[in-house]
Amino acid sequence: MDMITIPAVNLTPILPEIILSVLAMALLLINVFVQSSKKTYLSYISFIGVVGTAVLVGSGWGTHIESFSGAVVQDNFATFFKMIFLLAAGLAILIADQYMEREDCNHGELYPLILFTVVGMMLMAAGTDLMTIFLGLEVMSVSLYVLAGFNRANTKSNEAGLKYFLLGAFSTGFLLYGMALTYGATGSTRISVIATQAGQMGMSSGNILFLAGMLLILTGFCFKIAVVPFHMWTPDVYEGAPTPMTAFMSAGPKAAGFAAALRLLLIAFPTLQADWSQLLWVLAVLTMTVGNITALRQDNIKRILAYSSIAHAGYALVGMAAGNSTGTAGILFYMLSYTFMNIGAFAVIILVGKKGESNGNVQDFAGLGFKHPMLAVAMTIFLFSLSGMPPTAGFIGKFYLFSGAIQKGYIWLAVIGVLNSAASVYYYLRVMVYMYMKDPTEDFAWTKVSAPIALCLVLSVAGTMVLGIVPSIILQYAQEAIKLI
Amino acid sequence: MENLNSYLIVSAILFSIGTIGVLTRKNAIVMFMCIELMLNAVNLTFVAFSRYLGNLDGQVFVFFVMTVAAAEAAVGLALMIAFYNNRESIDVDDVNLMKW
Amino acid sequence: MSIPILSILVFLPLAGCLLLLPAWNCRRLARPIALVVALTELTLALWLYASWKGLAVNPFPQGFLLLEDAPWIPAFGIRYTLALDGISLLMIMLTAIVFCVGLAVSWDSIKERTSLFLSMMLVMEAGIMGVFLALDLALFYLFWEMMLIPMFFLIGIWGHGRRLYSTLKFFLFTMSGSLLMLLAIIALHLLYAQQTGVSSFQLQELLKVQLPLETQLWLYAAFFLAFAIKFPLFPLHTWLPDAHTDAPTAGSVILAGLLLKTGSYALIRFGYPLFPQAAQMMTPLFYSLALIGIFYASLVAFAQQDMKRLIAYSSIGHMGYVAIGIAAWQPVALSGAIIQMANHGVTTAALFCMVGMLDERAHTREIAAFGGLWGKLPLWSFFFLLFAVTAMGVPGLNNFVGEFLILAGTIKSSPLVAVLAFCGIVFPLIYMVRLVQEVVFQKERQPLSLNDLNPREIGILAILALLDIWMGIHPAPLLEMLHVPVQLLTGGTP
Repeated sequence: MDMITIPAVNLTPILPEIILSVLAMALLLINVFVQSSKKTYLSYISFIGVVGTAVLVGSGWGTHIESFSGAVVQDNFATFFKMIFLLAAGLAILIADQYMEREDCNHGELYPLILFTVVGMMLMAAGTDLMTIFLGLEVMSVSLYVLAGFNRANTKSNEAGLKYFLLGAFSTGFLLYGMALTYGATGSTRISVIATQAGQMGMSSGNILFLAGMLLILTGFCFKIAVVPFHMWTPDVYEGAPTPMTAFMSAGPKAAGFAAALRLLLIAFPTLQADWSQLLWVLAVLTMTVGNITALRQDNIKRILAYSSIAHAGYALVGMAAGNSTGTAGILFYMLSYTFMNIGAFAVIILVGKKGESNGNVQDFAGLGFKHPMLAVAMTIFLFSLSGMPPTAGFIGKFYLFSGAIQKGYIWLAVIGVLNSAASVYYYLRVMVYMYMKDPTEDFAWTKVSAPIALCLVLSVAGTMVLGIVPSIILQYAQEAIKLI
Repeated sequence: MENLNSYLIVSAILFSIGTIGVLTRKNAIVMFMCIELMLNAVNLTFVAFSRYLGNLDGQVFVFFVMTVAAAEAAVGLALMIAFYNNRESIDVDDVNLMKW
Repeated sequence: MSIPILSILVFLPLAGCLLLLPAWNCRRLARPIALVVALTELTLALWLYASWKGLAVNPFPQGFLLLEDAPWIPAFGIRYTLALDGISLLMIMLTAIVFCVGLAVSWDSIKERTSLFLSMMLVMEAGIMGVFLALDLALFYLFWEMMLIPMFFLIGIWGHGRRLYSTLKFFLFTMSGSLLMLLAIIALHLLYAQQTGVSSFQLQELLKVQLPLETQLWLYAAFFLAFAIKFPLFPLHTWLPDAHTDAPTAGSVILAGLLLKTGSYALIRFGYPLFPQAAQMMTPLFYSLALIGIFYASLVAFAQQDMKRLIAYSSIGHMGYVAIGIAAWQPVALSGAIIQMANHGVTTAALFCMVGMLDERAHTREIAAFGGLWGKLPLWSFFFLLFAVTAMGVPGLNNFVGEFLILAGTIKSSPLVAVLAFCGIVFPLIYMVRLVQEVVFQKERQPLSLNDLNPREIGILAILALLDIWMGIHPAPLLEMLHVPVQLLTGGTP
């Protein structure tokens, strides 16, 4: 065997990851010396860290740097997704503090864990080697298992953590096996090499090893982004996990899953496009339909949003099934809009909820519209955006995704998509019916809105509306980001 | 080629045993052991391919998988302990507070 | 023309909402603010009407009097395009009038959450103005959906009876139809991009797309479904009686007076011009649905006990005539249909107002609860009689003009339809006479102590009555206004 030569290493592409990791480790240390009543400062530090990293990531727009002999890359695609992750983390940090204090589990480890999750997600988006993607995925997942079960005293949180862990690890097995088979078929774990090998050797669906590899990898990702029939964990984990973490999980890791899956499918497996496109067509239909139909009969608002998040993954899959530039850019735009509107909605849920995760049913929203008008207006905007009404971000996102499907000729997929969209309106409207058209069942004082949550709400509302009214400012970035793919 | 095939078959069998175990067992720890079995089946595949193809990528991957499995074990066992503290059981049938 | 007057028409009500914010908790201040905004809109609309001949001297392409155009989302080729021609001018005037009426009629009756009510009304006005002015299909879709949201809240918060059921039904019905239209819009846009290499959503551009007949049929079906639900045509009408009955008076007035018109307007503006052959092929279906609607709705109206429900069903019948006028797609009938949209808007709005006023006094709308009102509420009874007679289509009043033109136009192309529709005219006569007879003339059934109309109410009704009479006696100026756009649409030379 050859001598192992150490390749030249350029740290620029993973500078954001390094910064966040160092910050997270520092916070873990600092945490030991901070009194439990002062943990809020940790959230401030981590928020500033996230904002700073976002500036750094943003400054790398337009560059293309490969490093670690092509295992990690800094390109527009990665940058766009990194911004989404940082946004999700920033918003989640803003809403975490008040909630954690209320639930008496204000442990300082929360913030480092969020930062580690972001590091993992960033590696997934920037990874151009199966190994990097796998490592990123695991860094993300392991942190998320802890975050889901973070409220140790709460049995539901325990359940959420355990369930997420068991099913997450299980799905990792499939992902890894798929990676192993792909490696066996092409002789490399580097995405670009896989692509050239597959192209040169004419590997398509005839090559069982290659096809099975792709399918197993896809299965692994389907678990992570909660695609039916691999969605069983989602509602329980989303309901049981601490609400800020649910918000974070529904936005960030899902986007990360899409980032890695897109890169793999479009760069490593274009020769199999006919196969995965068909498969995703079916999965998208299943995911949208099952998500929406099941959401119709839920009462717990976190569960409603959990099923709705399954449905939203389905809409994004429509763009992925299309696999063309419109559909792909649509996914990028949609993930960004979804981050704003979904975390915003969860922020309202946190404010309506009470200690011990109670007060989380639709019925508890009764009368919110007149007791707390601003909060209700914000929630109304998020819900209309989630249901895809113009002029909100959700509408433009769906518009983009369905355009991609029609362009590809998947007319029926688009038709099923909009029918689902129409069905989903019902359960979003139900929340509004309670907020505005029913009287509260009991009189109670509303919790005060702390400054960070208020900031999160303002940012989310602004994001949802701006992306809906003047989407051009982001659309061009989304379109540039997918040029390389 | 003969050799590679037998390795692959063994690892596929191991992987299947692991999968079936996860799906049928009720004890969270046993389920986790089955997941470990799956991961090790994958490791075997990687090593076999690595040897067959004559490049080291697969073996490097195995190291990462083992590290990650260790990290997962640490977190997973911690979660199980937290669950056990509250419910005095780690039977997955007791993971039932939330149902759709 | 440097002042973007069309944009002002659309965005002034939204600005009005912002003006309401400082006076949010002060009902005495909020109501005048909203009314002033609505009156300003009316003034602008009337000013446009007064000056349309001057604008017509030097028209924009396709005979538009005014056109405002700016890029909005360049990535998709979506533009912000508003345009005004005779048809939209008539609709704009109707909108402005009906909103003034709606605000005035609910001046006292909305006691709770007044500011929210007023802002919803204003948002609604902006949405409807936008629908009547938008020329870019994506922009049109935006306004089309935007008008649903305030109506959802209007019915849900201030409605009565089964308001939640009705508002959800209304929203889901209209939303599902329009979503399919959205797909059709996207498909049309992509076909255009494929053929020309340019992406655009503008009507004038999309008119150039060459469509094979089958594609045309599918796309037209999607558009038609969305519009037919709003119209509403026969099997898709079930949301309307519920929504009308449970809405607050202002909500019913706007639903009947304007929302139904958006469906017919959009069919004239977009449906027919974009898909001429498909529309031609679907004409028999359109005719039969309209005729079934006329007969069915009239029969059901006859059996109603609730006055509001009766008028709601009569709306379906009247809109059936509009549908026939459009289906004929012939200059006379089309002008008749457009005039009839305005007529029906005014008359039905007035009838809903009147029932609302009665409801405020007696707290019931059951026909059986009333009787002998002629002696007790002479003013109310007088106006009610007048509007009922108008709805029957008596010559000299406005409904007659529209129905006459529609039938006169239709009889040339399809005499059978015209004859059947003519028979249908008898029905309003029957159920309206019954309504008037039971409520106004019959002997008093139970003692009710009611006050007659107050000056505010007299004012509203007098204005509507004058409009009815004016449009009935002297429709020529309006027909002249419609002449050019109708000729252009039906392919004749203006």
